Amino acid sequence: MDDKLFEILEFGVYGASILLILIGLYAVLTKRSLIKIVIGMSIIDGGIHLLLITIGYLKGGTAPIFSPGYEEAAGQMVDPVPQALVLTAIVIGFGVTAVALSLIIRLYRHHHTLEIDEIKRLKW
Amino acid sequence: MVGSPVLLIAIPLLAAFVIPLIGMIWKELVRIIPGLVLAYMLILSATLLYYVSQNGIIVETIAGWQPPWGINLVFSPLTGFLATLMSALGFLVWLFSYRFKRNVDFEPAKKYFIFLMLLIAGAIGIVITGDIFNQFVFIEITGISAYALTAFYTGRNSAEASFKYLMMGALASSFLLVAIAILYSQLGTLNMADIASKMHTMNPTYKIIALIFFITGIGIEAEIFPLNGWAPDAYTEAPGPVGAAFAGIVVKAGVYAIIRMIFTLFDIPSAYDFLIVIGLITLIVAETSALRQEKLKRMLAYSSIGQMGLVIVAFGIGTHEGVFAALFLMLNHAVIKPLLFFSGSSLVFNSKEKQIAEMNGLGKRMPLMAAFFSLGAFAIVGLPPFAGFWSKLSVLSAAANEGLLLIIVLILIVSVIEIVYYFRVVNRIFFQEYSREKSAAPHRPRVNALVAMFVLAIAILVIGFYPDAVTGILHNASKDLLNTDEYINNVLQLGQSLTR
Repeated sequence: MDDKLFEILEFGVYGASILLILIGLYAVLTKRSLIKIVIGMSIIDGGIHLLLITIGYLKGGTAPIFSPGYEEAAGQMVDPVPQALVLTAIVIGFGVTAVALSLIIRLYRHHHTLEIDEIKRLKW
Repeated sequence: MVGSPVLLIAIPLLAAFVIPLIGMIWKELVRIIPGLVLAYMLILSATLLYYVSQNGIIVETIAGWQPPWGINLVFSPLTGFLATLMSALGFLVWLFSYRFKRNVDFEPAKKYFIFLMLLIAGAIGIVITGDIFNQFVFIEITGISAYALTAFYTGRNSAEASFKYLMMGALASSFLLVAIAILYSQLGTLNMADIASKMHTMNPTYKIIALIFFITGIGIEAEIFPLNGWAPDAYTEAPGPVGAAFAGIVVKAGVYAIIRMIFTLFDIPSAYDFLIVIGLITLIVAETSALRQEKLKRMLAYSSIGQMGLVIVAFGIGTHEGVFAALFLMLNHAVIKPLLFFSGSSLVFNSKEKQIAEMNGLGKRMPLMAAFFSLGAFAIVGLPPFAGFWSKLSVLSAAANEGLLLIIVLILIVSVIEIVYYFRVVNRIFFQEYSREKSAAPHRPRVNALVAMFVLAIAILVIGFYPDAVTGILHNASKDLLNTDEYINNVLQLGQSLTR
């Protein structure tokens, strides 16, 4: 791959991850529906996962698997740690989303609405 | 040796997932197993703490990977002290809630104990892990089980409190992940000791950005001022023993994570001043809010936030005495606040709204509970013969040694506020007339709950009359926290020698 093209791509992916984080934050902060807030949270998570993966990527990198005959490939391998981190983070994000959605079901049964403005029994 | 530190995490995790299976054999086992597990953890961590104080710290490597690469657990005087404290409190919370409510049947009890075990496993994991991503995972375990425990009562408005907590917690954990990404991209390591030894090579701008993300991420659990909006709601809506577990276990883990970051990982001197400022703001805002609360548990929640503010101020002083005072405060808070939550939730057990006004004249109907509550109130405001006095005195003397007079003045003013709102409750309990319509109906706590409260009350009196019983452990722990080089060397060298 061309060096220039790779740089543009890398810049683009970093930009995309930050854009995703900002879109998610916008949704969490301005949307009034509980479901949309949870979707925004998931978008933030996605952006962060993309960021982590990009950090570990190497130009022309290969899969981080040692196999006989390819010993010299060690210098070309992408960093496996961020990928492991992202796998863990995806699972955690899934768990949090599941808990959030089940709480939304409880809230809907209790208040009969998903509008966040109408659920304000508890105040500071 | 009775076992290794990894069992402190593995056993409660295992128990949490085995509980529903065992419940199929005999339902009572669901309530008994957590107690046995917590008693074992208490014995294990206490023995290990004694071993560590004699022979130096224990570094445990997981799956044979050497420290900079693999996950390692560090059981030092500081982490051991906190782990022991958490297992002891976990045991008392179990004892109190063995049959908290008569009408809580098998299904809810099963869920309650599963989440309690996960909560304790996560909190101990945060404290004894030596790997920053591992700590993130444990923070999430603690967080998710705390959201679930907050929403435990379906009858109350608990889902709202829990959702609030979950929103803040989930956003915070995203920030934590960003901070970990920044650190990893700059230093290429996730091991805390390794990060600490390489930190001086990092660009100061990135360092500060990472630290800000970290503090925002963990500040939720540690109840630092702008991030503690969840706490009053969650404490109010959650069951009484859960409030005690939050105040005694979750918050301690959060504070530990913050001070580990600031003392060991990031060597930024101005971070200490930041701790003092943020702690003082937390303290003042929380105590003035507590003054105008009408619900008992809400008042206790604000008081708990205020105490954490004081702990953070004491850590911010940064000297040996400051750290010692902060750890002493953490110990006292972990002993006193559960007693207040236990006795308070027994006092307002039969009332719907849990208002302070409903406690009128309960002193004559429930003298023992009232006595426990007033003992806790006297101890937490720092009256001389009780535990809280010594910790507050050591905070003040640590501040005086550094010439921080403004801090002393503010702490004393806030203590007066604290006295006002606690004594308002004590006054209602003892010196107001009981009225059948307005006051809560008396409730007779079970024997196991009484035993749990007795243990806490005796601990308060012992620490109050004979503080030397605990100061040795606390001095060791504060030395351990301040000696960063020793931490790095111990973890990296000891861990490597283990796997060779």
